[in-house]
Amino acid sequence: MSILDLKGLLVPIGALKQMGKHPHTINFPDEEKNISDRYRGFHHNSLEDCIGCGNCSTICMNEAIDMVALAEIEGGKGDSGLRPRVDYGRCCYCALCVDVCPTGSLNMTKDFIQVTNNPYEFLLTPGKDNPEAKEKVSFKADLEASLNIFDRVPMRELDPGERVKSFAEVLLGYNEEEARREANRCISCGLCTEACPVHMHIPEYINAIAQGKDDEALKIIYDNNDLPEVCGKVCTRRCEDVCAIQVRGEAVAIRWLKGYVTETADNADLIKQIVTPEIREPNHYKVGIVGAGPAGLTAGYYLSLRGYDVTIYESHKDPGGMVMYGIPKYRLPYDSIQKQVDYMVKMGVKIHYNTRVGKDISFQEIYDNSDAVFLGVGLQDAWNLGIEGDDADGVMSAIDFLGKINSGETVEVGKKLISVGGGNVSIDASRVGRRLGAEVDQLYRRRIKDMPADWEEIEGAEDEGVHLIPQAIPTRVIKDKKGKVKGIEYVKAEMISEGGGRPRPVPIEGSETIIDCDIIIAAIGQKADYSLLPEDIADKLKMERGKILVNDNRQTSISKIFAGGDAVKYGNVDAISAIADGYYATLGIDKMLMKKE
Amino acid sequence: MIREQETTLYLGPQHPGITGNMMVKLKVKGDTVIKAETHVGYLHRAFEKLIENRNWLQSFTLLCRFCVPEPDPMELTYARAVEQLEGREVPERAKYIRTIVSELARIQSFLLWYGGQSGSSGLYTLGQWSVGDRNYILDLFEDLTGARIYHMYMWPGGVRRDLPEGWIDKAYKTMDYLEKRLTDYNQLLFDNAIFQKRAQGVGIIPKDKAIEWGVVGAPLRGTGIKHDVRIDEPYEAYDQLKFVVPTYEGGDVWARALVRRDEIKQSISIIRQALDKLPGGSYYNRIPNPMKWTVPAGEAWVKTESVRGEIGFYVVSDGSNKPRRVHLKGAAYAHGVSVLEKILPGQNIADVSFILNSLGVCPPEIER
Amino acid sequence: MSNFKKETKILKSLKDVFEIKGSVKSDKRISIKADKKNVSSILLFLKNQKGFIHLNHISCVDWIEQNEFELVYIVWNPKTRLTVMVHTRIKRDEPVMENIDTIWDQANTYEREFREMFGIEFPGLIGAKEFILEDWDNIPPMRKDFNSQQYAIDTFSTRPGRENAQNVREAIQKRSGEEIPDFAKKYSRD
Repeated sequence: MSILDLKGLLVPIGALKQMGKHPHTINFPDEEKNISDRYRGFHHNSLEDCIGCGNCSTICMNEAIDMVALAEIEGGKGDSGLRPRVDYGRCCYCALCVDVCPTGSLNMTKDFIQVTNNPYEFLLTPGKDNPEAKEKVSFKADLEASLNIFDRVPMRELDPGERVKSFAEVLLGYNEEEARREANRCISCGLCTEACPVHMHIPEYINAIAQGKDDEALKIIYDNNDLPEVCGKVCTRRCEDVCAIQVRGEAVAIRWLKGYVTETADNADLIKQIVTPEIREPNHYKVGIVGAGPAGLTAGYYLSLRGYDVTIYESHKDPGGMVMYGIPKYRLPYDSIQKQVDYMVKMGVKIHYNTRVGKDISFQEIYDNSDAVFLGVGLQDAWNLGIEGDDADGVMSAIDFLGKINSGETVEVGKKLISVGGGNVSIDASRVGRRLGAEVDQLYRRRIKDMPADWEEIEGAEDEGVHLIPQAIPTRVIKDKKGKVKGIEYVKAEMISEGGGRPRPVPIEGSETIIDCDIIIAAIGQKADYSLLPEDIADKLKMERGKILVNDNRQTSISKIFAGGDAVKYGNVDAISAIADGYYATLGIDKMLMKKE
Repeated sequence: MIREQETTLYLGPQHPGITGNMMVKLKVKGDTVIKAETHVGYLHRAFEKLIENRNWLQSFTLLCRFCVPEPDPMELTYARAVEQLEGREVPERAKYIRTIVSELARIQSFLLWYGGQSGSSGLYTLGQWSVGDRNYILDLFEDLTGARIYHMYMWPGGVRRDLPEGWIDKAYKTMDYLEKRLTDYNQLLFDNAIFQKRAQGVGIIPKDKAIEWGVVGAPLRGTGIKHDVRIDEPYEAYDQLKFVVPTYEGGDVWARALVRRDEIKQSISIIRQALDKLPGGSYYNRIPNPMKWTVPAGEAWVKTESVRGEIGFYVVSDGSNKPRRVHLKGAAYAHGVSVLEKILPGQNIADVSFILNSLGVCPPEIER
Repeated sequence: MSNFKKETKILKSLKDVFEIKGSVKSDKRISIKADKKNVSSILLFLKNQKGFIHLNHISCVDWIEQNEFELVYIVWNPKTRLTVMVHTRIKRDEPVMENIDTIWDQANTYEREFREMFGIEFPGLIGAKEFILEDWDNIPPMRKDFNSQQYAIDTFSTRPGRENAQNVREAIQKRSGEEIPDFAKKYSRD
């Protein structure tokens, strides 16, 4: 190559032709930059949709996200009351927080410029400090691309055709692989623990399951729930209603995971070996407990762990109370309860069966011989239908019906059974009716979506051939000459909402229909029977609408008497609330008696 | 007189040769280098240590920051390593999208290299052009991933989001535009006597030693040896696309520049083919909840062809929710230290930056 | 294994000469485990006799539970395109490994890095002691027992303004009155 490379010198000069061309830049601020619809700029959080689960804060590897309390956010069940605040000195705009947000409230916007004179203004609470950015949301918490697993691992169950033939358990339970997979969906926020009446350590035991440590999970569960197998099968699982995943998907199957763990320990010895609870030295206090239902058993178990001398008096021949007699065996097999009660007896709980307080032993005697008494009597009597002809032969309460079936007695159901109600108990009655070979119609005042029963139960009933008749109000039971049920008359109802409240069923005139039937099972509600209490105690015990009033320690107006279960006015009417009552009564009794010393 | 005196010259840590900070300690006689020693440590961020403290997904926001001009091959290689450990399938559509993104990443990095290479030889105009045109690629990235530089887009199991509406057309148009611009670049760089004279015969890597020295990528192909991970161990959709691997003899800066020039054309052709053949279906094979995600124990050694050459990730899992070890082998690890120290002696001081740039040295990749 | 003909052949030739354990991991990947004293001869054998002339990578893994470091040498053959990964374990409390920068020059860089980051000694290694770090007086930072988070807390100060951050789990726990037993706490979200 010569020194004077003419071509090499002239060709580059040709680039001068570019000079007249329009520039590629935009004229800021007269022109706006066109920002793409997926831009990852500052965050925006919809404060109303956010539940404060803190998943964004957990995934952030730069520790840029704090969860802080805001004055305008209250919090409550299913909402921690905290909201994310981002440190933009640390944020790297990766948007993992957006992709793990279970509610989809956290998004990123097209905003990326912040000008300030103050170098300490690097914290921003998305949604609170930039409400106007809502219009500029760009990188969205997409449902399809989300890192949350919204679909629950399906539970294997018996085929509906197979189910109605026997009382075999319908749900087959998770196997190990399914349980690990389901446990992995949990984001460990802990919102569920607040909804649980006894505040079980849910994120902890689910995490233990996810890590393959079932023993540890069982130990954590037994910390404040001594009937986990019952809960694992029939709990009303308020926890799942507030699950963070449930906002946009299916809640983590907390109940079934608990069921899985409890089934890994299939006898009382094994439970004892795994749980190895801390047992205190015996103290000289005696506690008498009336009723071996969930509340009584729980109080008995935790009190004996604390060194108390506990005796439970139960009128039936088996323990468990309503969960034993009120829940059909295809949902909760006999062994499930028996195994756990065996374990409690091993831990020192004494139970006297077939001992009705007030008949076989007086309440006064228990009261005088104990340092504290726990009342867990439950609601044993059912309300009747309250319509013309409800005294007919063949009209039965669901409690009596299920109790008889569960005790092994036979009930003649005939060809057609009518079940009245919309809760779990009436669904139970319907499904038992199907298993006894009857055709079943179920009448409910409101719509199917208003039914208080679990959706799994409603679906299960429909699969098994229960015919649901919603918006139907029974008006009259039709008797034959012998006083036996012949049919039931009902009117159709329309749902009318007044003043924005819950819609109310209003009968449609002239829509009366009659169904012929052989038996009517009513599940309208139950009430307690306090005849066991001596008069002076019954007078002093404060009640409201037939339910005992208690404080947070489950202490009644008589300081020595604590109460729990369905018969107290505290929490809900279900097994887990009863367990909570038993547990917190234990703490209350412990506090009261230990203070004396 | 001055020609005989030996002096020590500290070049850097900031200088036009490279992206990032790195110092070269030169022993010079006159203006000729007689000994060179690389000193790094200005950009050590302990990424590999940090990754060990994070779970499997969290680390992917660090990976792209290993090397500023080329974030995507890092993401891709790590994602592939994790997929290999897990045995996770990637949907066909995701493979194609990943191929397109990888090639776009190559082009944007080539354009940045144009700027560096011409800038370090005093030709600043081309740098303005190519970095300006690079923004059109970044626009495509912004539409696709939501960010211009650090995309964090290719993660284990596929890609993060599907192609947005109208993106394919925009990509075709950008490719057409770039292809036209390449002629302009040639006019300013390859037809330019200044560049020719500066580049030819400078910074020669001997062909017979190249592989042994650990030279990879364009510098290796500039010695006439044909080796490219995309052909040796095809990944993603590369085995379904047609492209040639350009090679030039000589081993000097000029040959490396020619290789890169031709590779942009190949990349444009690959992107067009991939866009033509883009299959439908899912783009993401969902990973489990990242907080509880564990990867089976094992090790993986996965290689990818980046602009600067072959990069690899050695990933070890002990079965927990955090990686045991993630070790990057960057192309610059050999180029920037042992190769550089070998080829600098005998060169002119003014050519040091120039050679550094043509080797594609990226200091953050050496010290991580 | 008929698919992995070439791979099996290399493995067999290695097994004939050296006392090693090994297997063909996948397509083009041969993984062997060797004693530390054999490593340099294996690498020389692979380079000179079998055409593995390219040193791809050297990596080091800290297996603190077993009190060992694992060194992995990855070599590549440009003709057959096969990769051999040579693993060896050395004692953590006596971290000495043979220097191989006479076989491949660039091994020098790796060894200097491992000397600094893991504290492994390579007798006869030439090169500045300080490679990546500067004035480091702590334990080698890539060792698993070096807590980088604690180091950051001890070394750097935090900007004020973030003290009112709360832990979601604790906030809920406080509100509901739940008491988490100690044995369960390790399963809480961190």
